[in-house]
Amino acid sequence: MSHAAPPLGSVVRMLLRRTIDTYRDSPQAAGWLEHNLSRFDEPLRVAIAGKVKAGKSTLLNALVGEQIAPTDAGECTRIVTWYRDAQVPKVMMFPRSAPPRQLTISRGSGGLSFDLQGTPVEQVDKLDVQWPSQSLRTQTLIDTPGIASLSRDASARAGAFLAPDDSPSQADAVIYLMRHLHATDVRFLESFYDQGVAKATPINTIAVLSRADEIGVGRLDALSSARRIARRYRADEKIRGLCQTVVAVAGLLAETGRTMRQDEFAALTQLSALPRAEIDAMLLSADRFSRTDPDSTDVPDREARAKLMERFGLFGVRLSTTLIRQGMTDPTAISTELVKRSGLDDLRTVLSTQFAERRDLLKARSALLAIDLVLTREPRPASAPLAAEVERILAGAHEFAELRLLSTLRSGTVKLAPDVLAEAERLLGADGGSAAARLGLDPGTGPDELRAAALDAATRWKRRSESPMSGRAVADVARLVVRSCEGVLAGLQR
Amino acid sequence: MAVPAAVELVDLALKATAAYGRPDLGSRLEHTRKRLIDPDVRVLIVGEFKQGKSQLVNALVNAPVCPVDDDISTAVPTVVKHAETAVAWVVREPEGEGTPQRTEVPVGKLAEHVSEGGNPGNRSRLSYAEVGLPRKLLAGGLVLVDTPGVGGLASAHGAATMSALPSADAVLLVSDAAQEYTGPELEFLRSAMALCPNVACVLTKTDLYPHWRRIRELNEGHLRTAGIEADILPISSALRLHAAKTQDKELMEESGFTELIQFLLRRVVARADDLDRRSTSQDVLAVADQLNTEFKSELAAQENPERAAALVSELQRAKARADELKQRTSRWQITLNDGVADLQSDIDYDLRDRLRATGREAEELIDAADPADIWEQFSEWLHQQVAAAASANFVWAAERARFLAGQVAEHFAEGADIPLPDLRFDQSQSIAGKVEALAKPEVEKFGVGQKLFTGMRGGYGGMLMIGMATTVAGLGLLNPVSLGAGLLFGGKTVRDERKRLLAKRKSDAKQAVRRHIDEVTFQVGKGSRDMLRRTQRSLRDHFSSLADEVSTSLAQSVMAAQNAVKTDTSQRERRIRDLKAEIARLDAMAERARKLAAGVKPQAAVPVGKAS
Repeated sequence: MSHAAPPLGSVVRMLLRRTIDTYRDSPQAAGWLEHNLSRFDEPLRVAIAGKVKAGKSTLLNALVGEQIAPTDAGECTRIVTWYRDAQVPKVMMFPRSAPPRQLTISRGSGGLSFDLQGTPVEQVDKLDVQWPSQSLRTQTLIDTPGIASLSRDASARAGAFLAPDDSPSQADAVIYLMRHLHATDVRFLESFYDQGVAKATPINTIAVLSRADEIGVGRLDALSSARRIARRYRADEKIRGLCQTVVAVAGLLAETGRTMRQDEFAALTQLSALPRAEIDAMLLSADRFSRTDPDSTDVPDREARAKLMERFGLFGVRLSTTLIRQGMTDPTAISTELVKRSGLDDLRTVLSTQFAERRDLLKARSALLAIDLVLTREPRPASAPLAAEVERILAGAHEFAELRLLSTLRSGTVKLAPDVLAEAERLLGADGGSAAARLGLDPGTGPDELRAAALDAATRWKRRSESPMSGRAVADVARLVVRSCEGVLAGLQR
Repeated sequence: MAVPAAVELVDLALKATAAYGRPDLGSRLEHTRKRLIDPDVRVLIVGEFKQGKSQLVNALVNAPVCPVDDDISTAVPTVVKHAETAVAWVVREPEGEGTPQRTEVPVGKLAEHVSEGGNPGNRSRLSYAEVGLPRKLLAGGLVLVDTPGVGGLASAHGAATMSALPSADAVLLVSDAAQEYTGPELEFLRSAMALCPNVACVLTKTDLYPHWRRIRELNEGHLRTAGIEADILPISSALRLHAAKTQDKELMEESGFTELIQFLLRRVVARADDLDRRSTSQDVLAVADQLNTEFKSELAAQENPERAAALVSELQRAKARADELKQRTSRWQITLNDGVADLQSDIDYDLRDRLRATGREAEELIDAADPADIWEQFSEWLHQQVAAAASANFVWAAERARFLAGQVAEHFAEGADIPLPDLRFDQSQSIAGKVEALAKPEVEKFGVGQKLFTGMRGGYGGMLMIGMATTVAGLGLLNPVSLGAGLLFGGKTVRDERKRLLAKRKSDAKQAVRRHIDEVTFQVGKGSRDMLRRTQRSLRDHFSSLADEVSTSLAQSVMAAQNAVKTDTSQRERRIRDLKAEIARLDAMAERARKLAAGVKPQAAVPVGKAS
């Protein structure tokens, strides 16, 4: 991040324009590049992927804070669906072999529902939902059909969208949901980044241990158990080499927490007033909760309880009644607490450090992938300098060097002591690109202190890079880390 | 249970064969007896990992025998069976031949040996763990096998599970109510149905998921579409354990375990029991029939001396036909020999064909990428493909072998339908008994499928251990150095060198794949050839000895009928009385055998709510 160099974003944008000029005569290539140029200015595209019933749509709703993606007990999402911010709600269907059509929106109990007007699911390329929402302003969310789905076609569609064989992915980043780590999960994660120029950068993937409340079969400590598992996965070398980090999120709890209604809160309060033994007996199973009738008449009826169970899950009901009994009587406090416990806040923090702060980098990466595709598909004499330029940016831009080094470190090929390794990753920006995050200091730290810390780190790593005791690989790592420290210092001087 | 009565009857029949000087008939009964004494009814509990398999076993026996954890999975199969007191062993089978090594461990410490936590990736190379518990549910010989779900159904691990199927009496596919069946699960069910007589689907954790009824409906739909006939049993282990603790009958009802236990006792144990009763009864009937032949022909000759000569010649003709059955040219022998030869080449071809397709695909993959980068996932993929090919081949071979056994039995029965017109008093019974007795060995031989499976697995284990490791090391050496150099200099020479190294890596990788596939073809091919040879030998031995028995019986009948003519009237009358008494005694034995088979009565209802 040397201050003399122009920002990466503008360099790549310029390269993209030059490539368009070179390929002016090839409408297909030019169109593709134009598309990628306009994509540069769009919000970051984040795809939510995972196996069937991993809770993708539920998490999407939780992130948006509204029930918009349809959810169901059975396999539900069968078409790749884009959710983007707009002034007015509007749904467009893109059939494979027909012009796009506008669909009417109707609101069911579980999110929006779309009438495909008789078009078979296989014939639909994607749905584009435009929805006014604050949360969608910084990122476009893409819901995908589950992998390992019984309807093979739906799986294939998800696979083709996320890891197409012949062109760079349409998503800039991926949130990958898994219930437990299955072999198919690992394979999928591998295929997702294993392509093209910027290959072997798990940089744009975050894994989420979804349905975290169910991992601990709905016990009250289920979420801390899930967090422990996420921590283990984070430390697992194989997984570290595949994604940035692993976060545990109870999607249903998060969705419900963000969209809790007053009547639901009232029902929960009534239930919490029941004697402890009675409510515990009711909460033995989902069936019992909606079917047994307590002696007290002052409780929600069966139907209301069944609805409650659907919205909160066994764990959600257990947790919220416990919270109310412990004296939390404010609905806002409860919903905040639910969201906090669900792990959604952790996920949003990670999203903002890993994706939002790296927006330019991820966009630049997607654009370079697109250029690379055109250059390899339609090579011509005039494109040789462009190819060299792509090569130069990839090799030269310190941001990419950092990314590459991060993934090398994560793959475990360089041997470093654990604490040294952790510091190196942090300085390279694994926890976020800001100076404080890189130096492992509090975000509110003053510039003088930051400068001192950065200088200290730079000196230490400089010594490591020059020490005759360091092996060549370690020296290489140290040199790049020093550059990152210098970048921090340069940024502070500005 | 049927076992004691059946064993008693077999002992009686054994005594009879000794008393009448027919030890050749005794050996078959010895075999039956051995099978009866080991009444194990094995129920395999399979499924993707983290679906609640171990918890299901725990809830069934109401004891925390299999470790359950939110995170850590089971790594080693655990066999839970009946014992007077609670005991646990870990069993390690040696690499080559030899007896397995059994080590007793405290029941509470079992988790350290069988879970991924204490024994990651089965580092201590345990074959399985065995737990004995004093439980009424298990007393009937029910043996529960908790299999590790590691890696999922589609992995090499899953393929090993598949090869254990033919030796199981029932399979429970466990899947939680969080979601409907996935592709691999249905695929597994389809193969399981082909290999095992009793398959049921268990839907776990119904306490946690309000939508479990929907999921069950969806699953039923999937099963229907796939043409699989299996029950879906929704259960909640948590409720059952809670109910056992609080003695809550109503809750026990809700847990769904009543149905599951009914299924295990009525459909699985009872079925195995029925099979035991019927096959024991058939064996004893056949023996009684053979012993009777001699007495009955003598009796006929004694009663009508003037017809004795005709009877003798009829018996001799019958004996000649029985002897023909022993010839290598008899129809069943030809069917068997030709069938095995055909089968061998078919199975071999099938395996080669499958593996060749895999090999081609593998080479394409290697062509498309740098082997150094993809090696790890590639070798996993290859192992999985190879395992799938081998297990599909195995399923097919087992099906074909079973069909062949049926055909051989049929052809033998055709030849063995020896007319003994004057001797058969209750004609229909005897023929029916004989034909069924012939058809039975196929059931039994494939109980011996265990052996067939071990053979397969031996080849299998060998193949999985074959040294891909050396190749990986070689590639690993090339990788970081060349890449690092390329990035640093980027010069032309380096690029050329890089190209050369890449080409070398590709050809090395292809070589490795070819070697691996060759080795697998060889090992698995040998395994299936051995399996077929064993099948052939046991079928041949079974039917030859049957032909021998029939022939001996007839020879003795001829002798008895011939001798009968020589005795005088008073002696003759006494002899007739003796013979009638002997026949009555054998008939009584046959009657007991018939009763045993008829005793397939409905089981008494199982008391619910107690720790059974």
